[in-house]
Amino acid sequence: MTLKEQIKKILIEDLNLEDITAEEIADDEPLFGDGLGLDSLDAVELAVLVQKNFGVEIKDMEEGRPALQSVQALAQFIEDKQGK
Amino acid sequence: MNQQTAEKQLGSNWGYRAFYLLIRLGGRKAAYALLYLVCACYVLFWPQVRRSCDPYLNHRFPSSVGFTRLWQQYKMVVSFGKMMVDRAIVGSLGADQIIVSLQGREQLLNIRDQKRGMILLMSHVGCWQLAMSAMGALNEPIHMLMHGHASSFERQDYEQDNGEVKHESPYRVIDPQGYLGGAFEMLAVLKQGGILSIMGDRVPKDEKNRVHVTFLGQQVALPMSAYHLASSTGAPLVVLTSRKCDENHYEMVVADVIEVPEGLGRKPEAFTVYAQRYATTLEKYCQNNPYQFFNFFDMWN
Repeated sequence: MTLKEQIKKILIEDLNLEDITAEEIADDEPLFGDGLGLDSLDAVELAVLVQKNFGVEIKDMEEGRPALQSVQALAQFIEDKQGK
Repeated sequence: MNQQTAEKQLGSNWGYRAFYLLIRLGGRKAAYALLYLVCACYVLFWPQVRRSCDPYLNHRFPSSVGFTRLWQQYKMVVSFGKMMVDRAIVGSLGADQIIVSLQGREQLLNIRDQKRGMILLMSHVGCWQLAMSAMGALNEPIHMLMHGHASSFERQDYEQDNGEVKHESPYRVIDPQGYLGGAFEMLAVLKQGGILSIMGDRVPKDEKNRVHVTFLGQQVALPMSAYHLASSTGAPLVVLTSRKCDENHYEMVVADVIEVPEGLGRKPEAFTVYAQRYATTLEKYCQNNPYQFFNFFDMWN
């Protein structure tokens, strides 16, 4: 399973996204607002899940804002952090 | 009309100025005298004011009707008015005009010293703004989740006229209207072992962020954010209540400390037991201080 697929699985299963499958989430679809419709509590949960599953910490808003734009951005962020 | 904002629409700028002037000229007694009169007019001639008291009074005093209910509405509005006058007194005449005591100080200091972060779970009871001055005992900045569009009266305790936080203030405001509701700012505060203050008794708009509990005999929806943050960071929840116990004396009480297990996930049901504990604490407060509950909207609907 690719990193992006793992992230989509987390979104569906742990953030309880309904009426959508992992395959239907586009890599560049915005996670918040008009995209997948995630909210602030989802952001907190996602930060916790990213740390738990990938060992990567989203420290603050400066890191979180670009990292949580989309599945693709999050995957890139995790890869960058893990590569360091 | 949005009932959650009903109380904010009471009064006007010139009305507030009249009270400030009276406080400077005649002190608390003069301001209270005017307050009794103004509140009587509001309760007698403004049905909206009576209606805004009823959701709470219907649950706290389910059998009261007629003149008894009218008197209860008056007492509730006067209590709210006194709280506002007391804040104005502190603003005009200085903090030494009001005594604020803290019950549970040692417990609070112990939690602070554990460096796990701390979430102060507040409610719209007593005068939490004044009573927060007792939190100076913590000697730490307190980060408060507070709307950027809160009225100037709401923000006066923390901000100067130009909108900047008062230099001497230990408070830092996190605006839930900011990026992702201030989520990362709140997380950062708690991860660094800091102190975050959240109101626990406002109903969130989104159903998926609500946790349902029983309060005063009927189900209400409370925000799950505090419990979720506690579970995400391991920070304990400190339930604080405040009450006016004398003319110039407010008391802040550590009413409960709730430990939420880590990793409970995103589903509201996981937090029901902890939110119910908070609701039970709040209910006990309402039994003991029946006219100091200031959520003037229908939590039960």
